[in-house]
Amino acid sequence: MLNIFKKKLSLISFSLIPLLYFWDPSWVTFLGIQPYWPIFWLLPWSILYGSINGFIVGLFLGLTLDSLTIESTFTQIPGLLLCGIWFGKLGSCNNIFIAHFRYGLICSIGSFLCNSIVFSQIFIKNFSDKNLFIYYPSFRNVFAELFITGFLAPLFCSCLFNLFKREKENKKII
Amino acid sequence: MDIRRISTNSWWNKKKNWILFVFFVFLLFVRFSKGSLYKDFYYVISKPFWPGQFQREILIQSFDHERLIKLRQLEKDNERLRRILSLQRSSETDVISATVISRKTGSWWRQVILNKGKKDGVEIGSYVIGPGGLLGRVNNTSLLTSSVRLLTSPESKVGVWIDRTQSHGLLVGSGSDYPKLIFYEKDVQIKKGDFVLSSPASTLLPPNIPIGVIKSIDNDSKSKKIANVFLLGKPQAIDWVQILKVEI
Repeated sequence: MLNIFKKKLSLISFSLIPLLYFWDPSWVTFLGIQPYWPIFWLLPWSILYGSINGFIVGLFLGLTLDSLTIESTFTQIPGLLLCGIWFGKLGSCNNIFIAHFRYGLICSIGSFLCNSIVFSQIFIKNFSDKNLFIYYPSFRNVFAELFITGFLAPLFCSCLFNLFKREKENKKII
Repeated sequence: MDIRRISTNSWWNKKKNWILFVFFVFLLFVRFSKGSLYKDFYYVISKPFWPGQFQREILIQSFDHERLIKLRQLEKDNERLRRILSLQRSSETDVISATVISRKTGSWWRQVILNKGKKDGVEIGSYVIGPGGLLGRVNNTSLLTSSVRLLTSPESKVGVWIDRTQSHGLLVGSGSDYPKLIFYEKDVQIKKGDFVLSSPASTLLPPNIPIGVIKSIDNDSKSKKIANVFLLGKPQAIDWVQILKVEI
């Protein structure tokens, strides 16, 4: 059992993302906003497996998350695709302090990118309404999520990176 | 003897590619079924953690307060309707009590998932009320669960009115906790503290469901009046709700 867990850790942790999304723990919030959870998984995985795999997994993550939300007119896929490609181009860092800081910074930028793309979709969709200024409070969402994601990224990403690295050394899955 | 070599380098001969392909097809299925599998699975595993019965008493108390407000509205409505010859058919509703098993009330994705689905007779378009008033409308159902789009969601648009001045407006979610109430006339007489109720003119909701109170008014726009609305129903804290079918 433990062996299967070790070998299929990527898949198991991937399938936990929707559950985390539903659970939505309210004690990890900043201004009522949760971190952008999928980025924490995508960053270490893409660093280890490269851009092409990052692109594929970004697509899978986007599909999964889109299926969980009822908003059918805007999608999270483009942001996660771009992040997957970008994260795959980054190499790992040996210095533990710099690596932690790096995870925070990269996840913040990734979260900003994904949220900006979602925001721009809402903006474009409602462009004809001429009520665009009512969405200005949503900037708060973007920056609150950017902060909380960057703040928690070192903790989650370094744990996942170590686990995925060990798994990769044991056996290549994808 | 002629020996044919079978190439093993082609992509279709690789097991990994087939696994990826099957996984992709599975995700597509989940995407187009709007995550029904995930939601039903979450229903099963979250069952032991659902809120207990004591919450029901709090709910009943809050509903009593809400009913008082509603009663006042109904009396006014009755008087008004007596003066009108052609009365609109009042909605007869079936009430389904449900528990909130998942909620997303921050950022863009503002929805709650309830533990009642198609099996219990929940239909898309039904409206959901909690202690305080309207929370949103059912947007998607699976066998065991239903997803509710909250009034704060950027996709939510509901026709409302201010009973004091009988001014009709549109309540639009903005991705924050305070949806915006837009009046398409500049000279509408509204003030802070006015009650916002569902509009009798709405085709999506029955009339006079309490929604919120006007929190502040923006006078920046030249052609419209926009107000921030403080919602009476708090999806962040509510564990029990009622689902009502719309008959219009």
